[in-house]
Amino acid sequence: MINALAYPADLFSRSFVMILFMWVFFQLWRVTYGSTGQESISGLTLKDTLWYLMIAETVILSKPRLGREISTQVKDGSVAYLLNKPYNFLLYQLSVSIGETLMRMVVNLVFGGAIVWLAVGPPPQMPAGLIVFPAILLAWLVDFCMVALIGLFAFVIEDVSAFEWIYSKLVLVLGGVLLPLDFFPDWLRTASLSLPFAYTTYAPARLFVEPTLEGAMALIGGQLAWLAILGLLLAFVFNRGMQHLVINGG
Amino acid sequence: MHIKSELRFLSALWRANFLSLMEYRASFIMAVFGMMLNNAAYFIFWFIFFDRFEKVQGWGLSDMFVLFGSVASAFGLSVFLFGNVHFLADIIAGGRLDYYLSLPRPVLLHSLASRSSASGLGDFIYGFISFLLAGQFTVDAMGRFLLGMLLGAVVFVSFQVIAQSLAFWVGNASMIAAQASNAIVTFALYPLTLFDGTAKLILFTVIPAAFIGAVPAEFVRAFSLDRLILMVAGAITMLSLAVFMFYRGLRRYESGSAIQVQV
Amino acid sequence: MIAIRTKGLEKEFITRRKKAGFTGSLRALVRPEKSSVHAVRGISFEMEQGELLGFIGPNGAGKSTTIKILTGILHPSKGDAEVLGYIPWKDRKKLAFNIGTVFGQRPQLWYHLPAIDTFQLFAKIYEQDDKEVKKRIAYLSEAFEITHLLETPVRKLSLGQRMRCEVAASLLHQPSLLLLDEPSIGLDVVAKQRIRDTIKRMSELEKVGVLLTSHDAGDIEALCKRVIIINHGQLIYQDRVSALKRNYLTTKEVGVRYAEAVPPDFNLDGVEVLKTGKYGVKLRFDTRKTPVDGVIARLASAGNLLDVTISDPSLEEVIRTIYEENETGEIR
Repeated sequence: MINALAYPADLFSRSFVMILFMWVFFQLWRVTYGSTGQESISGLTLKDTLWYLMIAETVILSKPRLGREISTQVKDGSVAYLLNKPYNFLLYQLSVSIGETLMRMVVNLVFGGAIVWLAVGPPPQMPAGLIVFPAILLAWLVDFCMVALIGLFAFVIEDVSAFEWIYSKLVLVLGGVLLPLDFFPDWLRTASLSLPFAYTTYAPARLFVEPTLEGAMALIGGQLAWLAILGLLLAFVFNRGMQHLVINGG
Repeated sequence: MHIKSELRFLSALWRANFLSLMEYRASFIMAVFGMMLNNAAYFIFWFIFFDRFEKVQGWGLSDMFVLFGSVASAFGLSVFLFGNVHFLADIIAGGRLDYYLSLPRPVLLHSLASRSSASGLGDFIYGFISFLLAGQFTVDAMGRFLLGMLLGAVVFVSFQVIAQSLAFWVGNASMIAAQASNAIVTFALYPLTLFDGTAKLILFTVIPAAFIGAVPAEFVRAFSLDRLILMVAGAITMLSLAVFMFYRGLRRYESGSAIQVQV
Repeated sequence: MIAIRTKGLEKEFITRRKKAGFTGSLRALVRPEKSSVHAVRGISFEMEQGELLGFIGPNGAGKSTTIKILTGILHPSKGDAEVLGYIPWKDRKKLAFNIGTVFGQRPQLWYHLPAIDTFQLFAKIYEQDDKEVKKRIAYLSEAFEITHLLETPVRKLSLGQRMRCEVAASLLHQPSLLLLDEPSIGLDVVAKQRIRDTIKRMSELEKVGVLLTSHDAGDIEALCKRVIIINHGQLIYQDRVSALKRNYLTTKEVGVRYAEAVPPDFNLDGVEVLKTGKYGVKLRFDTRKTPVDGVIARLASAGNLLDVTISDPSLEEVIRTIYEENETGEIR
């Protein structure tokens, strides 16, 4: 937290990216909605789409960046020294980064929100939209599980950065960061909704603009389900990896 | 003779850059393909977008591919051949221009071309793929694409040099220059028709993104003398401004004494 | 012929001061607080073609700034300078063809590449003929004993090996003047000696003038005929190294060891006792007032001598003396 505060220039430059993106998105969607002549596309109005994109960008731009950290520690073996510490390596990593993450989220929400508000007016569904906060937290957790799984892959192969890259692109497209899944062709939307990527970004962003009970059941339910699956998988891989490490003597 | 000698020098410099990259072959290949993959994500985005909306203010999928191709190749070429374009502010502030100043070559050219970014090659190649996907297989169109892309690269490099040269006056300008780079690339990647009067004016002046994206893309679609003149004039203006700004600043250069290595 | 001539060279740096924190940054943006540092204040000297001239002074004395002005890297705030007939900051490129530079803290060799690749790049930079360059590289690699290192990436060389390659690179285009800024910085004693020897030999072989800055007096002692001492941006002493020694090396230090114990109140006329041990004494005396033979004779008669060592104070100490005199204002 203090760390993030120590570099106001860094924070402001981040907010600049947010402002830039949201302004360009506004132009794109204003013209797109204008050219179709429809008030709402696939159930989303211009206002919905922009607030959706704002939340999706916030989730992506603020999320903890742990992949590099984990894979480096696994690779250079320093993970072994953490074995005798009274805490879990993965949870430790997560908790260290949470302060900075929240700080970034606030900045991104303020600046992105301000631009979108000016462009299309206040968020559509308040205060029910506040359900977005638990959804964002769950989204980060699902994302963390996948990033950590990739990082732990460093037990097996030297350089995992290729996988990190592919993962981030999958989130960008199938997670609905660039385009709400609602605008996808049916088959692709169905496919995306049954993959974990949608639950790292699409879920909170979609809930924010349409916080219905069914929506919450489906999306938060999906998040919880994926969290359980990936969490178990992660615990399994982590323990196996550590055993491997102990047997090989680090 | 003079120009020839500079070209020989440049090609020797690029050779050294390439050899440097080859020292880390695996990272090089990773960076090239990683960047192509990165661009493919946007390709899918536009594919889905236009599948749904078909045309937005006269812009369709193939126009988008040409636009993306122009920007990616221009940007890629810039950072592959003039890799220090993103580091000039640090070089100035850290006193690392000493090295270039102690050798008998043009300082700006020498410093810009003394680094090569591998991912730039990925962008450059991807740009051509994107252009070919648009389906314009004539030699004419290819020629227009190449010309527009080259002029776009000149504008991009010049714009960055101007932003990075602020370091001569304000010291630490790398953050502001990085944001300027972000901004010009982001704006260049969208059709000009999205923006209204004032915004359009900005995209031809303060952040000349139009010269990198929209104008070259329109030029590929159909030859137009007006556009050609516009692009050439834009490139010459930006280049002159950049050279003027850099050498103006160079008089204020204060060196420094941090220990560093020539990468 | 004169290689370098400067007159009243001055360089003033303006620095912006910034208060800590964000508000400090903002304030600095709106109304910057400026302060100036006078790095060089009025340096005038001349250097003959082919001369070996040492520039010595403590850190921050203005040595590097002066060299940077002479190579055309910095514009002076005031004063004139001429190097090989060129005004450095106006004819930077022409001058660069005729001088070689090594900045000890600014490597010019490409870090990830073998030295030979940088050599070849330099050949293109200096517009040299390919065949000539090959011969030149072979010749220099032999002289600097780096032939076996040429194919190794520079990052894998030791500092001493790297510095030999650096100096060789600076001689590639047969300059008539070498400007070396701290070429021995960070090197161990053996590597230092080796680089000094090679530079000296090359300067004699090729009639290259060398202007060398260092804060290590050993460099100057081993290499230079003449020395300029600067402090606080001003020239405080210039003379031949031999004259410097003659004028300042007026004291000797003597250490003696006896077979039997030394009386604790050991004393001799005109001699300063530095240290008294159980069996030995350390003394210092001025040779102009107290002749050496007299002191030795008296020491020998004082007891059963086991060992005698006589030494000059190091140039290091001499220079420290000069700085101190400069600080207190009594320049000789």
